[in-house]
Amino acid sequence: MSYREKIAWLALIAMAVAYVPYFLLVARGPYPWEPLPHLHPLGLFALVSIARMLILGAGYLYLRVGSPKEDRPPRDERDRAIEHRSLSAAYYVLIAGMILVGCIMPFNSTGWTIVNAAIFWIVAAEVVHYSAVVASYRLQAA
Amino acid sequence: MMIPGSISNRMRTLRFMNGEMSQAELGQRIGLTRQTIAAIEAGKYSPSLEAAFRIAQVFNVPLGEVFQWDAKAASLEAS
Repeated sequence: MSYREKIAWLALIAMAVAYVPYFLLVARGPYPWEPLPHLHPLGLFALVSIARMLILGAGYLYLRVGSPKEDRPPRDERDRAIEHRSLSAAYYVLIAGMILVGCIMPFNSTGWTIVNAAIFWIVAAEVVHYSAVVASYRLQAA
Repeated sequence: MMIPGSISNRMRTLRFMNGEMSQAELGQRIGLTRQTIAAIEAGKYSPSLEAAFRIAQVFNVPLGEVFQWDAKAASLEAS
């Protein structure tokens, strides 16, 4: 498994650990949160984002120490092609989500439902990005 | 209609003929990773034209000796 594939797996694991509990909690509702414009509920999101950063930081450190320098070469044309393709797929997910959140949801939802939906689609786009990276490396593995 | 066919290569043979050059060494000489060289050899990734020329230059052979267009699928369909 290449170093960049490991990094993509790490990003997926960090997102799963941080955001799955967050969205499960959010989906359960009703929340004892204050309505907009109070921003206290964002504290919970900040907390899970910090948890994600910590997992990513620890993972990067572990992978860096565990991989000799020759196993961490600079990006080549295939890495860039995979990144480009993965970002394109994520872009379409993000655009679809933002159209839903920005153009449709305001007519039938309010406040934190819209905010959390926006966060969900951003996370979904990230998941698609890293999943596409992992899938591309797996499919091209010799 | 797009012409059917696939690209094959003789990179493994050419590496052998050049002193059993490793994938990592070839990759280092043309700025690609070992994994990319392995993917090209296995026919799972088509390199850019520039990378293909660099590979041919390393082996000191024309491009056509490294990569071949296999139109077998096309002729099979036509017959």
